[in-house]
Amino acid sequence: MTARHRTPKPQLPSRPAVPAAAPSRLRTVWRAVALALLAVALLPAAHGQQLEASGALRVLGFGLPDEIATERVALFEESYPDVDLQLTEGSIDQQQLLTAIASGNPPDVVYLNRADLSTYATRGAVQPLGQCLQDAGMDMGQFREAAVQEVTVDGEVYGVPDFYTVIVLVLNTAALEEAGVPVDEFSTSDWEQLAQWNQALTRNEDGLTRIGFDPKLPEFFPLWVRANGGQLLSDDGRTALLDSPEAVEALEFAAGLHEPAGGRAPFMAFRDTWDFFGAGNQMASDQLAAFPIEQWYVNVLSDVSPDAPIAVKAFTDRQGDPLTYATGSAWAIPTGAANPEAACAFVTTMSSPEAWERAGRARAQLRAEAGGTYTGTYTGNSVADEVIFGELVQPSGDAKFDDAVQVILSVQDAAFSIPANPAGAEFRQAWTDAVNRVLNGEQSAQEALDQAQQEAQAALDAAWEE
Amino acid sequence: MEVAGRRPATFEAAASAEMAAQRPPRSRARDLLSRVLFVALLLGCSLVFLAPFAWLVSASLKLRSEVFNLEWIPDPVQWVNYVKVWQAAPLLAWLKNSLLVGAIGAVAVTLSSSLVAFGFAYFRFRGRDLLFGLVLATMMLPQAVTMIPVYLIWNELGFINTLVPLWAGNLFGSAFYVFLLRQFYLTLPRDLFNAARIDGANYFQMWLRVALPLTRTAMIVVFVFEFKALWTDLMKPLIYLFDNTLFTMPRGIKTLVDRFGQGGEMQWEIVLAATVILTIPLILIFFLGQRYFIEGISASGVKE
Amino acid sequence: MGGVGRATSIDAAGRRRGDGAPRGGGLRRAEARAAWLFIAPWVIGFVVFTAGPMIASLYLSFTEYDVLRPPKPVGLDNYAQLLQDPRLRVSLWNSFFYTALFVPLATLVALCLALLLDRVHRAAGFFRTVFYLPSLTPTVAVGALFLWILNPNVGLINRGLALVGIDGPAWTTDPTWIKPGLVLMSLWSLGGTVVIYYAALRGVPVTLYEAARIEGASAWQEFRHVTLPLISGAIFFTLIVNTIAALQIFDEVYTMYFGQMESGAASNAALFYVIYLFRQAFEFLHMGYASAMAWLLFVLIMLLTAIQLRLSRRWVYYEGR
Repeated sequence: MTARHRTPKPQLPSRPAVPAAAPSRLRTVWRAVALALLAVALLPAAHGQQLEASGALRVLGFGLPDEIATERVALFEESYPDVDLQLTEGSIDQQQLLTAIASGNPPDVVYLNRADLSTYATRGAVQPLGQCLQDAGMDMGQFREAAVQEVTVDGEVYGVPDFYTVIVLVLNTAALEEAGVPVDEFSTSDWEQLAQWNQALTRNEDGLTRIGFDPKLPEFFPLWVRANGGQLLSDDGRTALLDSPEAVEALEFAAGLHEPAGGRAPFMAFRDTWDFFGAGNQMASDQLAAFPIEQWYVNVLSDVSPDAPIAVKAFTDRQGDPLTYATGSAWAIPTGAANPEAACAFVTTMSSPEAWERAGRARAQLRAEAGGTYTGTYTGNSVADEVIFGELVQPSGDAKFDDAVQVILSVQDAAFSIPANPAGAEFRQAWTDAVNRVLNGEQSAQEALDQAQQEAQAALDAAWEE
Repeated sequence: MEVAGRRPATFEAAASAEMAAQRPPRSRARDLLSRVLFVALLLGCSLVFLAPFAWLVSASLKLRSEVFNLEWIPDPVQWVNYVKVWQAAPLLAWLKNSLLVGAIGAVAVTLSSSLVAFGFAYFRFRGRDLLFGLVLATMMLPQAVTMIPVYLIWNELGFINTLVPLWAGNLFGSAFYVFLLRQFYLTLPRDLFNAARIDGANYFQMWLRVALPLTRTAMIVVFVFEFKALWTDLMKPLIYLFDNTLFTMPRGIKTLVDRFGQGGEMQWEIVLAATVILTIPLILIFFLGQRYFIEGISASGVKE
Repeated sequence: MGGVGRATSIDAAGRRRGDGAPRGGGLRRAEARAAWLFIAPWVIGFVVFTAGPMIASLYLSFTEYDVLRPPKPVGLDNYAQLLQDPRLRVSLWNSFFYTALFVPLATLVALCLALLLDRVHRAAGFFRTVFYLPSLTPTVAVGALFLWILNPNVGLINRGLALVGIDGPAWTTDPTWIKPGLVLMSLWSLGGTVVIYYAALRGVPVTLYEAARIEGASAWQEFRHVTLPLISGAIFFTLIVNTIAALQIFDEVYTMYFGQMESGAASNAALFYVIYLFRQAFEFLHMGYASAMAWLLFVLIMLLTAIQLRLSRRWVYYEGR
């Protein structure tokens, strides 16, 4: 089993887990030192080399919803004026992606979910990028380890990571106080304690009016398994471990958290009524006490309900160490692309620190003009993160959101991902269905995961064979 | 099922309520009472059938947070939703694509099916009935059986991500319409064709100058039916198109549902507005061509 | 459809000829050639888009194929898997259950509505339009719409039930109620069937009703012995068409419960056959297995239609045979 606590890479200065209570001056000093060291260590690799590129370049799957996107594209167009960029706007789904990649005339660049990349990489549908990265002088070391793992198959890199979304705990401090649960001590490490807190925090007298702790099943099942010291798939991506005792225990525990609400059905029915993205969201309306959620939700909260009583903490495993699950997107070049040189130039520019910095600056400026603050962008590129969070992100004045930023930053390197494998969708479906079967009361955790293990292993075997 | 001699041979009569005779009443008062009762029942059912439409239009004009409130009348009325949906997605392109595919495909299938139907209706040749049986049998074939190889064919030909696969299949006629049009051709008196032959027309001209004009109604029925089928098809654009601007309306709505629906940004008012925009043209066409729709359906089910 | 194979030749006097066998001679040959020319488009289409692909998909069903790499022959593995795959059984069950629930209900409801229409003569046109309109709504739209109409908390259906004091079930999240909810959704679009039945009812000769009345038949007897037999052909037709369509339901359900975001409850309860087929083909990249599934569906449909055809001899009334 791999070590759960990730040691940082040698190039990065070891960053202490900065608790929210650290004096701010110390933090500023640390940041300055870190920045200086990084600049010295990584500048040559991060700067990148200009490539020869021209002609038409077709990019599929990347939307242009905001300045973070448009600024990066602008940088590319300025750096490579000879390239005729044809960007098909809008994100694409599995269906479109397969059709595009399988067609005899695929686009030059695709933007896809990192988790899906290995399905195509292992089947030879996208190109290895080793040579491209070398020519462009881009060092994969600047990207977060979990992201790099997701884009690497058998030691070869097939994608360039873009964005890095981690999971954190969001707490409703008012609810916790009301139920007598200490906010400072609240953590997900002690599972018995968590179950008790869940019971105390659930308000279910005349019907369910508040959920205590939402374990976010089935989506976050991998997180729970990891917290319990297990993993769903072996590191080489060939052996499913769905029926391991850690996985079964994790599923039993997380499924059991629905009991105080009366079971999964009333739990879900209630959850469906939440105004998730609105001003009356479940935190502001006291409908939920705590849950793990992707970090972008903190931004949503600061947008629509800045006064809601929340606190953000790191999700921790049963040993007490911070743990999170990272997802995001990646750039890839399909096999048979018509213009691989321009494609290489594009993918290495878009995810470079300069591009991110430029995008971040633009957003910071826009926010300032609108009277708000820039809360940062988690890029998956640690060099870019340094610049963004070191220079561009200023304290907003609202302690709970500033602390949230620190927490999110602190867990960036505590992330794991599912190893690259060719049966991505089918593997995911196997454990998702198993979790759902348990939640619906159709099977016990052991039975469901045994079945899932069979299905997943069969899928993996069939897929790896070719 | 040919109920020879008992019913008028044309379809207008079969479909139109006005021409059918009234049944002898049992007693005037009771008949009146039952009529009122029936109308009331029908009104009730109509309300049930129309309610979803009403809700759809109403919800599409609401504020995001109010989409699911219990009011029938939006307050305030958010006409801007329709502007938003126009900006959120290339609706104009989608409408244009749907129109293109619908028009070309419907015309193609009407012409090709009528050619084939004429072949089966007019001529006598060895194996005709067996072949026609085969045509009918293909109606039972699930699309799923041929879906993947047909996809591969279009892939080989390089037509993936173009609109071609969405309508090109219609160039070869469709079993259902061949069947339908053949029914119509069978009712044409042979003498008309003989007269044309005497005038020196060849078979093609017989079809063009005699059969086609006399079955104009049927042709319009086929056109309208196929247009509706193409306008609402999801499967083909789902597997053949990956360029957002090439999407047809149903495919586009699917994208909106994904993006703005349950798992996305929860901007349901946009999805609903797009749905209204998708449905309205069909309803308009229906009101304009009501007669043809009804005839077409009646014809398919009543006469075999 | 007993009468189809024995099509009559065009003869306005109503004389029936045989099965169109040629009677020999040069004219016949010229006629045959011309006929084949007219039929050529369909034949070409059949060979290229039907027969060819059918053979290809049969071949593919014996391979493991992911579109990105060449097909790999695996013998009977896919078919063996068909027998063992629990999800396949679930999807078959879902499709059959839904069909068994929907088709009889649709027939009944459409018949009742058509009978009502038949009684109100002049107003029938308006109501007929009302009933038909929903079937014009594109399936994607129906799916998106009904996701909210069926919503347990704010949907129209439960709000309507609440008016009469019934606590409506969780149509979209409770696995037991997902399929019935979808049946309700499909019932909304049965306008086409209503129109067919109404047209059939209109075609029942008045003289028969008069004769029955003279013999003292009650309304129910009239219905059972005059109306039903004479519209049985239409009922039979819609039974077959609706069954075949119901077994292949895809668009609405895919829009509502699958795609980008999947609902936990529905991923089992709403996993219909064609949805599962689509998933195997395009999400899991098992085109070979999907082809085997397609062939299984084809065989099942043919069996079912054959059974319905057989049974139809007993209850469908064919005039003049």
